[in-house]
Amino acid sequence: MNEFELLRNVTIGQYLPTGSYLHRLDPRAKIIAATLVIGAASFTPSLLGNACLLAACVGLVWAGRIPLGYALRGLIPAAPFIVILAILQLLFFGRNYDPASPVIFQWGWIVVTSAVARLVVISAARFVELFIVTSVLTLSTQTTELAHGIESLLRPFRRLRVPSHEMALVVTIAVRFIPLLALEAERLLKAQASRGGRVVGGRWKFLARTRQLLPVLVPLFTFALKRGEELIVAMEARAYTGGEGRTSYTLLRGSPADWLAPIAALAFLVFMLFAPFPF
Amino acid sequence: MGEGKRMQEGRTGGLTTRGIVISGVLAAVAIFLGATRLGFIPVPTAAGNATIMHVPAIIGGILEGPVVGGIIGGIFGLYSFFYATIPLFKDPIVAIVPRIFIGIFAAWAYQATRRAGEWWAITIAAVVGTATNTVLVLTLAVVRHYLPASVAWVVGLTHGIPEIIVAVIISLAVLLSWKRVQSGQARARV
Repeated sequence: MNEFELLRNVTIGQYLPTGSYLHRLDPRAKIIAATLVIGAASFTPSLLGNACLLAACVGLVWAGRIPLGYALRGLIPAAPFIVILAILQLLFFGRNYDPASPVIFQWGWIVVTSAVARLVVISAARFVELFIVTSVLTLSTQTTELAHGIESLLRPFRRLRVPSHEMALVVTIAVRFIPLLALEAERLLKAQASRGGRVVGGRWKFLARTRQLLPVLVPLFTFALKRGEELIVAMEARAYTGGEGRTSYTLLRGSPADWLAPIAALAFLVFMLFAPFPF
Repeated sequence: MGEGKRMQEGRTGGLTTRGIVISGVLAAVAIFLGATRLGFIPVPTAAGNATIMHVPAIIGGILEGPVVGGIIGGIFGLYSFFYATIPLFKDPIVAIVPRIFIGIFAAWAYQATRRAGEWWAITIAAVVGTATNTVLVLTLAVVRHYLPASVAWVVGLTHGIPEIIVAVIISLAVLLSWKRVQSGQARARV
């Protein structure tokens, strides 16, 4: 019966309460800091810089009091993709990427230059860094905290007609709907199975497979849209009029200590982008 | 009536209650399809799976317009960035930016071709939305040096075409039954 237990497999918003400094941080400060570190990881071009970043990521995991093995567990299913990407880059970039760089390996039409080898290492390192940063963020922050944080951060942009409150509500609704969808999908899959319906067909018969998924997907979409219509009526019946002048049940109050994290992250980003790393 | 008008003016960014709720619900479908792997259909190409996670963005764009389509796409992008197991999508520029445009372009395509009939408009919107996803993701992957251009072309053609076919089938099936459009085929409605 495992194939029907969808709810258990939905792991969005996995939260690991350890009560560390990172967990207690104001979500706004945490989002800014995480964005800055993500920026640093995305744009650091040097090998030594990436080594520093990897060390900083391990530091983050430690600061969140998250077991390192737990934080890295998700990397195991990703390992084959890292290898495939590395092979593709090694085989096909050849001299096209930075033709001036010296050739370090040549065998037939396969040419590996030192610039490509560097690129492979940096791509893989960048993936690991971003993986750790996003894992630490989701493991140390509840989804509702994230939504409140985003709403609060976007509030100054309301003047530019950015619907900050509405966006946060969209995220909250999405998160609340996922378990409902999982239950409904379980029901639909069981209903199909009890009628002898099965999703079969190999890779070459993907059209047949798509057709077999329709009896599950169409009612699932219809269910979602119908529940949506009910929610619209319920909200309008309660005179919901959007974010203007609305107060919030949860108030975010940051202490000066909270803002140390984004300041440190900003310093780190500037250092990463402008430090003269030798290689 | 005056009261109603004032309520409308209180809104920013043109998001109505309907827009908020439909965005949230369809974004939940996108995340759900990804988290349960229901949204991956095995295809005979190197990438292994055609994804239908972007279909909710297309459907949202068709039903409620470009803003809703864009928001659903953005949430789908955020999800795929946070929970990516493929290095390509662990880059916020590749994972999030292209996805915002799926629903926007699909909505525009739908509005532009609506006169040709519901059936055609949905098909074209699904093709445009899916192609937006494939083309923008691969272009940014090349720009960010994850893939050489030659590999991106091969992936785009072998992967994009099955994905377009699957997206068209599902968008048509969902929207025709939701909008109760007569498709000309006599079929039992369960």
